[in-house]
Amino acid sequence: MIVYNISQLTKVYGTRTILDIPLLEIEKGLIYALLGPNGAGKTTLLNILGFLESPSTGNILFRSHPVRFSETFLQPLRKSVVMVEQHPILFTTTVQKNLEFGLKIRRIPTKERNQIVKESLDLVGMRNFAQAQAHRLSGGETQRVAIARALAANPEVLLCDEPTSSVDPENQVAIINILRQINDLKKITVVFTTHDRSQVTSLAHHSLFLDHGKLAGSPSKNFYGSNKS
Amino acid sequence: MDLLIDSFLSALLLVTSLDPEIVSIVGVSLKVSGTSTILASLIGVPFGFLVAFESFPGKRLLITCLNTLLALPTVVIGLFVYAFISRRGILGPLDLLYTQKAMVIGQTILILPVVATFTIAAISRIDGRYRKTAMTLGANRMQTAFVVFREARFGIVAAVIAAFGRVIAEVGISMMLGGNARGFTRTMTTAMALEYDKGQFSLAVALGIILLVLSFGMNLLFHFFQGRARA
Repeated sequence: MIVYNISQLTKVYGTRTILDIPLLEIEKGLIYALLGPNGAGKTTLLNILGFLESPSTGNILFRSHPVRFSETFLQPLRKSVVMVEQHPILFTTTVQKNLEFGLKIRRIPTKERNQIVKESLDLVGMRNFAQAQAHRLSGGETQRVAIARALAANPEVLLCDEPTSSVDPENQVAIINILRQINDLKKITVVFTTHDRSQVTSLAHHSLFLDHGKLAGSPSKNFYGSNKS
Repeated sequence: MDLLIDSFLSALLLVTSLDPEIVSIVGVSLKVSGTSTILASLIGVPFGFLVAFESFPGKRLLITCLNTLLALPTVVIGLFVYAFISRRGILGPLDLLYTQKAMVIGQTILILPVVATFTIAAISRIDGRYRKTAMTLGANRMQTAFVVFREARFGIVAAVIAAFGRVIAEVGISMMLGGNARGFTRTMTTAMALEYDKGQFSLAVALGIILLVLSFGMNLLFHFFQGRARA
C-alpha cells in the first residue's frame, strides 16, 4: 500500500526553489533513507511529509486521500505522522509527562497511558528514566526519549531528521536498532535523513538521493542490508 | 547626620511596634497595587502572549509602541485619567476621583505595557522547536499555545512581579487620582511625600524602609523567576 503519493511538488522560498519533485511514492511499512548534501532540501521534504510545512505547488495523496494544506485539515493528519528533529527538544517536565503529551491529545485514558509510556520507554531502553527531569538528560538520552515520545503517539509514519548526527557511536547503534525494531514490530513506515551510507545499507529498504531539491533517479532498493523486502 | 540617625531609630521603633497608621498605609498600598497588578496581568499577559505568538502585519510597530509606553510618566497618566473621571469628564457621574478605584485605573494603565512587553519578551525567548514538537505530536492551535505558555511560565511570573515592583513605588498617579486621604487613599509613597513636606521624617523613613524591603523582596523573586526562565 502507498502511504504518500507526491506529484509535481515544489517548494520555493523567495526566488529559490528548495524542492522540485515530479513524482515520489512511499510505501507503507518500509524504511526510507533520504540522502543528500546540506541544503539539498531533506529537512524541508520531511517537514512537508510531516504536514508541518506546505508545498508551494503540487499534490500529495496521503493514504490515497488528497491533502489540503489548511490548518484545520492538517492537524488531524499530524496524529498519524510524527517527526523527530535533528536536535529534538523535550518539554521542561519529567520524561513520563513528555511521553504522555501526545497521548493526552489523543484522549487515551490514564491507565492505558501509563502502559503505553512504559512500553515505549522499554523499546528505547529508557524505562528507568520515567521520572527523570527531561532537561537533565544527555544528547543521546534526549534523542531516545524523543523517539519514545513519537512512538507513544502510535504513528503510522515516523520521520527522523538525522537521528544519529548529534550522538555518540554507542547511542548511534542503539538508535539504529530502535528504528529497525519499531519497523519490524509495529510496521511503522520510517523516513530518515542521513549522511551516513553505512546506515542506509544496514537499515533502509529504499534510499532516495536529493540534490539541489531534485530527486536523483527513482528510489533505489537496498539489496545489501538486512532489511530486504 | 543626627537628623538621619534619629529619624532612622524612630522609624525602626514605628515599624517594630506595628504603628496603626503605618499598618493602614501599607495596607492601602498593597491593596491598590495588588489589585492593579492583577487587573494588568489579566489583560496584559493574554495580550502580550497573542502579540508574541501570532504573526500579523504591524507587529513590530505595535511592539515599538508598547516599548515607548514603558517610559510614560506617571503624571501624564494621572492627568489623562483625571480628564476622564473629574466632574467635567465623561466618567464624572461615576464619582471616581480621589478613590482607590481611580488609583487602580491609573496604575493599571501604567503597568499594562510593562506586563505586555515582558510577556512578549518571555514568549519570544521560547525555542521555536517547542511549537513544532507540539504540532507534530498532534496538538491543535490552542494546545500548542498552551505548551509555549507553559514553557514561558517563569518569564511571565517575572513580568507580573516587575509590574508590581513598578506600581508599588509610583507616586504621581496615587497623588493626582487618590488625593492622599488618610486611611482611604494614602499610600506609602504619598505619605512619604506628605511627611517630607511637613518636615517629619520618622514616618517617611519608616515607610521608606518598608518600601525598600518590599522592593528587595520583589527583586529577589523577579531574579529567581528570571533565572528559572533562562535555565
